[in-house]
Amino acid sequence: MIEVKNVKKAFGKQQVLKDVSVEVEDGQVVVVLGPSGSGKTTLLRCINFLENADSGQLAIGDTCVDLKKATKKQILEIRRKTAFVFQNYNLFANKTALENVIEGLVTARHIPRGEAIKQGKEALDWVGLGEKYHCYPCNLSGGQQQRVGIARAFVLNPEVILFDEPTSALDPELVGETLDIIKKVAGRGITMIVVTHEMSFAQDVANKVIFMDEGIVVEEGSPEEIFSNPKEERTRQFLSRIISLDSNYSI
Amino acid sequence: MDKLFGWERFFENIPKILPYLSVTFRIAVYATGFGVLLAAFIVLAELKKIPVLNPFFKVYVSFMRGTPMLVQLMIIYYGIPALIDPVFGTNINRGFSAVTFAYITFILNQGAFLSAIFYGAITSIPYGQTEAGFSVGLTELQTFRRILLPQMVRIALPPFGSDLVGLFQNSSLVFLIGVTDIMGRAKSIGAATKHVLEAYVFVVIIYIVISLTIRLLFYYLNTKLEYGREGVE
Amino acid sequence: MNFNTAHFYESFLYGIKYFPNTLRLVFIPLAIGLILGTVIALARVYKVPVLCKLLGIFVTVYQGVPIVVALMIYNLVFMLKFNDLAGFLHIKTKAADVDNIWVGIFALSLTAVCSISEAIRGALLSIDKGQDEAGYSVGLTKVQTIRRIIIPQMIPAAIPTLINHVVGLIKASSVVMAIGIIEIVAGATIPSSRTYSFFEGYVAAAVIYWAFTIMIEYLAKVLRRHTGRFRRNPYD
Repeated sequence: MIEVKNVKKAFGKQQVLKDVSVEVEDGQVVVVLGPSGSGKTTLLRCINFLENADSGQLAIGDTCVDLKKATKKQILEIRRKTAFVFQNYNLFANKTALENVIEGLVTARHIPRGEAIKQGKEALDWVGLGEKYHCYPCNLSGGQQQRVGIARAFVLNPEVILFDEPTSALDPELVGETLDIIKKVAGRGITMIVVTHEMSFAQDVANKVIFMDEGIVVEEGSPEEIFSNPKEERTRQFLSRIISLDSNYSI
Repeated sequence: MDKLFGWERFFENIPKILPYLSVTFRIAVYATGFGVLLAAFIVLAELKKIPVLNPFFKVYVSFMRGTPMLVQLMIIYYGIPALIDPVFGTNINRGFSAVTFAYITFILNQGAFLSAIFYGAITSIPYGQTEAGFSVGLTELQTFRRILLPQMVRIALPPFGSDLVGLFQNSSLVFLIGVTDIMGRAKSIGAATKHVLEAYVFVVIIYIVISLTIRLLFYYLNTKLEYGREGVE
Repeated sequence: MNFNTAHFYESFLYGIKYFPNTLRLVFIPLAIGLILGTVIALARVYKVPVLCKLLGIFVTVYQGVPIVVALMIYNLVFMLKFNDLAGFLHIKTKAADVDNIWVGIFALSLTAVCSISEAIRGALLSIDKGQDEAGYSVGLTKVQTIRRIIIPQMIPAAIPTLINHVVGLIKASSVVMAIGIIEIVAGATIPSSRTYSFFEGYVAAAVIYWAFTIMIEYLAKVLRRHTGRFRRNPYD
């Protein structure tokens, strides 16, 4: 169970998160939608302390921390319960695909190297990169790099995986295969919070959809509720623009 | 009138001058060894923006990079006695040999130049690498040691090589504060035998060989480490 | 702590007095370095036969020569052999009449030529091959392409490294005091032989150099903004 309560965050004068609370049950896939600047990425980054919120509480499983006053030890504890998939992959440039995947296991979680390598290879096989264990990121395509990133997060067996617009930096052709992998992860029953623009993914995979705008949660509900019967005007506006774009675009 | 350049004298000088090469190498080793430590300390202060230390180091680095090595040598040579003797009642010049002043100057100088190289290298690594390290649960120290440092070494290697060549070239100046290195020995040969050109030419050859060797070594190291490869995308 | 401010101030003034000599020791080699350096860099990048190899060897080898050693050698040869050479070429001047600042300028020019040609060569190599091809494809000759397309692009690319070399030249010019040329450092320490305030003298010299290099780096920033303008608004 992941609970985020009353998160507030300002960058300088800009109040990016005004008071956001989110609840995620175990095994749920929550998709966060919203225009740019709505604060969805900031929310995600506050959860694993890549940003320091100004106030709020976070509870992951039975660990509760105050987002502003968390000690270094608490932050590490939270980070070892979560995993993050970045928009631009952020694979460790000086390590091969396999080394990228096992780094968290060996160094942060002190798993013996042999066992870690076994798990790492399994994870890479599972995302379809069984041939690429020893390739460096600079020799992999964007889609392959993101799959390594997903494997790297998945192998840590965290209580929640956070996805920050995982397909936004990819060529359109590669988006599909990456979304398939993410769907596979969801199929394993792992708790996921996904920030994305991919509406069809949200409709297929999400258990709960949250729509954010201007730093607050405007509406939340099941995908059917949000996509077919949005209650708020702002939600309706956003969806109508996105969905018409979806159908008008084809290359 | 005697020949300007005599081959016999040239070959005679070789065994007389060569032993003093150890002085040059000792300067280079101390300067690089302690210089790297000093540079690391300076970069840490700069990255963490430590008050008092950071602005002090900024001024210090600007001074060391903006003034000639010759002047720095003289300042240390005259300055340390001038500043310390009245306070401690010592007579440093009798205690320290000239080469100690050389060591001090080169360590301070290398610390400044290397700090600029290291700082440039570490800031050119995209911040996403650090974030990725944190996101898999590594501590700050672990992220630095396992992810950032290896990439930093690769990026810093070429400028470090040029700096090393420059260090050797600058070390040719220490004879001006009375250190007997290869140049100092050449001069004393000249004073004794009245023929100095052959000695100087041999010194030039030594420096050329050192410079070429270092450049070759770093060329080999660089290609081996595939420097300049910046992974993601 | 012993720091005699009056002596410092006196050394400072004496140093500034000889500043023009330093300017000569920096800007003449700089000019020669830029002209010959560009020629050498172009010859090496465009692989002019024979010259390319010879110049390459010369630059690679000479880069390893420390200035002070070269200076001592040139000065020695100058003092011993100049008169013979002058007689050979039927020039009337004698060694005693020639200010030995020219020996310093000669030595610094050679070093400048080497380091500047390397900087320019680096900048030339960083320009995309496609630029040359585009030039030829619209009918420009090799020389025209170099002059109108390549060199204007080379300049902003080369400026950061060149400024480093200018700063290096300024610092290297201090070495000429070893052969008795009076520039900033030697000038600042003239009063020192009378007052025994060598420390103050050298600190004064350091301050002058430091101010000079800070000014040059500021000028470099301005220059980069000015010549690099086309990089933000590419013209067709």
